[in-house]
Amino acid sequence: MLRESTQIADNEVNLKDVTQGLSEGTQIPNAEVLVNFAEAIVSRDPANIAATRQVVSDTLGNDATVDAAAVVSAFHGFVRIADSIGIPYTTAVLGQDAPEMREEAGINDFYRIQEAG
Amino acid sequence: MSSVSFENCGFEVRQNLIDAHTDAWDRIASPGTWLTGERRIAVAAEIRQARACEFCAEIKDALSPNAVTGTHTTISNLSDAEVELIHRVVSDPGRLSEPWSQEVLAGGLSEGEYVEIAGTIASVMVMDTCTMALGVADTDLPDAIAGEPTRYLPPGAKVEAAWLPIVEPEDAVETDEPLYPSPKAGYIYRGLSMVPESMRNYWAMANEHYLPGEFIYQFDKTIRALERPQMELMAARVSALHQCAY
Repeated sequence: MLRESTQIADNEVNLKDVTQGLSEGTQIPNAEVLVNFAEAIVSRDPANIAATRQVVSDTLGNDATVDAAAVVSAFHGFVRIADSIGIPYTTAVLGQDAPEMREEAGINDFYRIQEAG
Repeated sequence: MSSVSFENCGFEVRQNLIDAHTDAWDRIASPGTWLTGERRIAVAAEIRQARACEFCAEIKDALSPNAVTGTHTTISNLSDAEVELIHRVVSDPGRLSEPWSQEVLAGGLSEGEYVEIAGTIASVMVMDTCTMALGVADTDLPDAIAGEPTRYLPPGAKVEAAWLPIVEPEDAVETDEPLYPSPKAGYIYRGLSMVPESMRNYWAMANEHYLPGEFIYQFDKTIRALERPQMELMAARVSALHQCAY
């Protein structure tokens, strides 16, 4: 999804940044502001959430802040469905997920893939 | 009706998001397919308890989730299998395994109960994370609504692609009621299909947070205040932080 959307929008993304944090290889508008907010939400640290949320609000406004919170929240559900039901990771993006892409992004180091051998 | 409120968060929250939370909490309080409303509310309370469970924190910090032994700190009268399912899916979802899921089932849960609880976990996690992200307190748990579960088992559900049974689009029948917006629906969409009501309820809520199905593969369009690459970058980072390989 990320790779496809950045290609169509003519943005650049370094797939490693998904697992390792943002680098200059990712050129998506306001990427740092949004990723900082997303990481704070995952950490469940109220002070960090408030601080990063304020930056999103100051930078992108009310509606984008609400939508950023909503998108990050949505993926707190999707991951739990995928991982509790044991959906095959090879079927991501209608089966377009490629082993090379998982390797490039660092996803092959994840527990479930390592356990699968 | 549940009392969802985003007042005092300092943001004007779109009405369809507020409605999605209200509707989802009302459905959680109602009898489901395998669980009563009372048990579903107990599951919701236990989901919140899992965040404060010290044993869960120990498991998450361990190099291997199997390296530590202990007991979850629970606040409900749910079974040990239910508590294990809830706490592990809430706290360390990226390190679950098929043998672990089989152990949970062997602990006395039916596959339908497992899937319905998984759907409830996913729903509560989305809504509680959304309120936390916007700086408001958890919504008060609603009172359970009396009634009996339907105990509907889709005839086409089978264990094949995933650890738990799934109804593939070609195996859906009329009594399942509408399951898929398209026969190409991805596996993340199919995940809860063994309990069609849970699946429909989950996606009705989740679509308002992310995107309705018809927009998922339209990468050049957005109905949100963010550009699609911005949404997908956050989504991918959140998934990676959860060690989700999907």
